[in-house]
Formats: sequence, structure tokens, C-alpha cells
Amino acid sequence: MAAKWIELVTGSLEQKKQYKQSKARLDALPEPYLSVANAFNRYFMYYGGVTEGETIVQMHSDLADLWERAAIDGTPVSEIVGEDPIEFAESFAQAYGGTRWIDKERARLNEAVDKAKAKEAGQ
Amino acid sequence: MGKQTTEMLKGTLEGIVLALLTGNPAYGYEITTLLRAQGFTEIAEGTVYALLVRIEQKGLVDVEKVPSEKGPPRKVYTLNAQGEKELDEFWNTWSFLSERLEQLRKGGN
Repeated sequence: MAAKWIELVTGSLEQKKQYKQSKARLDALPEPYLSVANAFNRYFMYYGGVTEGETIVQMHSDLADLWERAAIDGTPVSEIVGEDPIEFAESFAQAYGGTRWIDKERARLNEAVDKAKAKEAGQ
Repeated sequence: MGKQTTEMLKGTLEGIVLALLTGNPAYGYEITTLLRAQGFTEIAEGTVYALLVRIEQKGLVDVEKVPSEKGPPRKVYTLNAQGEKELDEFWNTWSFLSERLEQLRKGGN
């Protein structure tokens, strides 16, 4: 009961736990994977704009999987990221279909166009 | 890989991967290896990884986590019914596109 009440205020505790776990996995990476994983995380904060906790948690745990695997197999960073890190980062982030801050504006734009079309049809 | 190749691949890679997965469950690294064997030699593992995340989120594959000796479990991807439907659509679109482009090359329309 108490946990439920706290979650109402703070968001899901389970999500926080999972987030902390994947954060710890990312922090434990050896170099150069640690630097590159941190750089991607920073970029995702600016680019991603994902607002749903669940999506963020999933994305972080997938990232931990990816970089841990690379570190263990000794796959070079260049082979993971390819020639264009931005391209990789953005296609990765776009794979997560969670709600984004831009969604509100997309809905607004669609509505404006629909209204204009309705006016057009009415004349 | 030329810039044009990269741009064109972007739209088709998902279909290519779905085709590779037909009757052949595989994990990420295997899929990258398969792609390279098919002549897509410069595809980055991360590109494939991002794509696999996407098709998983879209529900086109079933994912099974198989423990590995070291590190996190490997995710094995199997094409499901929805993925097969998507692949059918991809081949239809592909036939249409390649037919139209071939017409253009021949100078007809």
C-alpha cells in the first residue's frame, strides 16, 4: 500500500530499479566502450526526447546489452557504430516508439491542416 | 560503401533482414555476418542492432534470450506471422519499384 502511494508521487519504483541496474552495467564497461556509451547517452538526452519511463528503461537496458556484448567479444567501436555515429544514434533512438515531446506539436500541426482542409472542402 | 548505396539501403535493409530470418532464427552478430556474406560488406553491427530493436518493437519477430558463456544473454530473433506478412508486402513493393525503375532505364514509361 505504502509502495503504491509512493509510486504515485515518484513514478514506478520497479522502473527506477531497472534503470539503476542498467546504469550500473554501463558504468562498469571497460574503455573505450565506457566513453562511447556515455557519449551516446548524452546524445540521446538531447535527441531522443522520449518521455515515457518504460521506453527509457528499455532503451538503457538494450544499450547495456549492446556495449557489454561488444566489450566481451572485443568488437571494435568502429564496427558497432559504423561510419556515421549520428546516423546510428538516431536510428537507434527512433526504434523506440514511445511518446515524445514532439508528439504534442505533431498533433497540433495535423489538427491545423485538417481544419484548413475542412474549410477548403466547405467552400 | 558509397553515400548513394547507404541511402538506398536504408529503405530496404529491414526487408533484407526479414528475408534472411525466414526459416532461420539468428542472433544479432549472426545476422551481420549473413549480411556481409550476401555482399553487404560494410554494414556496421550497430546498424543491424538498431534495426533489430526496431523490428522487435514493431512486433515482427519473436525474441528468445539464450544464455551465453560470458556476458548478457544473446537475443535470438525468429520471424513471426506478422513479420511474414510484412515481408510479403516488402517483396510486393520491391517488385513494383524495380519494375518501374527498369522501365525508366530503358527509356520507356
